[in-house]
Amino acid sequence: MKKIIISILLLGLIGGASAYYYAFVYMKNRKFDMVNAEAASVDASVLVKAYQENETSANASYLDKVLLISGTVSATDQTQMGERTLTLSSEDPFSGVMVTLDSAEAASVNVNDQVKVKGFCKGYLSDVVVTNAIIVK
Amino acid sequence: MKQMTKIAAMVLFMMSTQYSQAQKVYATKTGQIAFNASSPIEKIAAINNQTDSKFVGENGQVVFAVLIKGFKFENQLMEDHFNENYMESTKFPKGDFKGYITNIKEVNFSKDGSYPVTLDGNLTLHGVTNKVAATGTMKVAGGAPEMEGTFKIKLKDYKVEGLYIGEKIAPEVAITVKCKYQ
Repeated sequence: MKKIIISILLLGLIGGASAYYYAFVYMKNRKFDMVNAEAASVDASVLVKAYQENETSANASYLDKVLLISGTVSATDQTQMGERTLTLSSEDPFSGVMVTLDSAEAASVNVNDQVKVKGFCKGYLSDVVVTNAIIVK
Repeated sequence: MKQMTKIAAMVLFMMSTQYSQAQKVYATKTGQIAFNASSPIEKIAAINNQTDSKFVGENGQVVFAVLIKGFKFENQLMEDHFNENYMESTKFPKGDFKGYITNIKEVNFSKDGSYPVTLDGNLTLHGVTNKVAATGTMKVAGGAPEMEGTFKIKLKDYKVEGLYIGEKIAPEVAITVKCKYQ
C-alpha cells in the first residue's frame, strides 16, 4: 500500500514538473522555425486585393498562416522597437503589405527590390500586416 | 508703409504656415500598444508594434487600430490561449479606438514641448464597444508629434471571459499607447 502511494506521488510530481517545464520553459524559449515552415505562395497584389474585396473570406484563407509573398519593396522603415519593416506595393497606391522582419533577419533590402518574404499574416488594417518575416533568396 | 506691408505679409505667412500644420493628418503604421494583465501569481503582458493610428491636427479626431493576433507575448503558449480562449481573435480580429483629442487646441505643433492631452471616444474590443476616456502626453520635437498614454479597462466590460480571470489574470487591464507620428 505504501509503495502504491509513493508511486502515485512520484508520478504526480513528475507530471507537474513536466507540465511546468512545457508551459513556462519550453514554450517561452521555443522559436518558430520559419525557414523550414510550409508556406502558401501569393503575390502581394493578389493578397491586398483579396483583403479589399472580402476581408472575412481573406482571413479564412490567410489569417495566422505562413505565407511566401512576392512583391516590390516600396518603402523601408522600422518599428518603435527597432525591428525593420518593408512595404510591398500593390495595384492600390494607398495599400500594400506591411512586413515586419524577424529581428535576426540580416539581409539587406532596398526600395524597388523584388523580394520574396515568408512570415505570418496577421490580418488587414490599411495594409495587410505580416510579422516574424524572413527574406527568402 | 513698405515696412508695414512687409510685416503684414510676414504675419500672414506665419498664420498660413500654422494653419496648414493644424490641418495636417499625422499618421503611423508602426505605433505601439502594450497591455499588462499581470497578477501577483503570473506576468501576463504583450506588445503590438504594428498599430495603425492617425489624428487630425485641426480638430483632434483620432483613430487607433490593432490586429489582435499581432500582440506578441514572451510565452507562445500564453499567446495561443490569449487568442483562442479569451479574445477569440479569429472571430474578432481587430480592436480600435475612435474619438477625439478634446484639448488639441492646446498643442502647438510648431513649438517643441510636452503637452498634456485628454482623449474621449469609443473602444471596440472582442466585438463590444464602450466609451473610454484617457489622459496622456503629446510630445512635439521638430514638428513630429509623439503621443503617450495609459488607461485601464475591465475585461468583463468587453465580455472577455475565462477560467483564470481574477486569479492568474488581472480583471482590470492597463493599456499603454505610444505612437510616433509622421
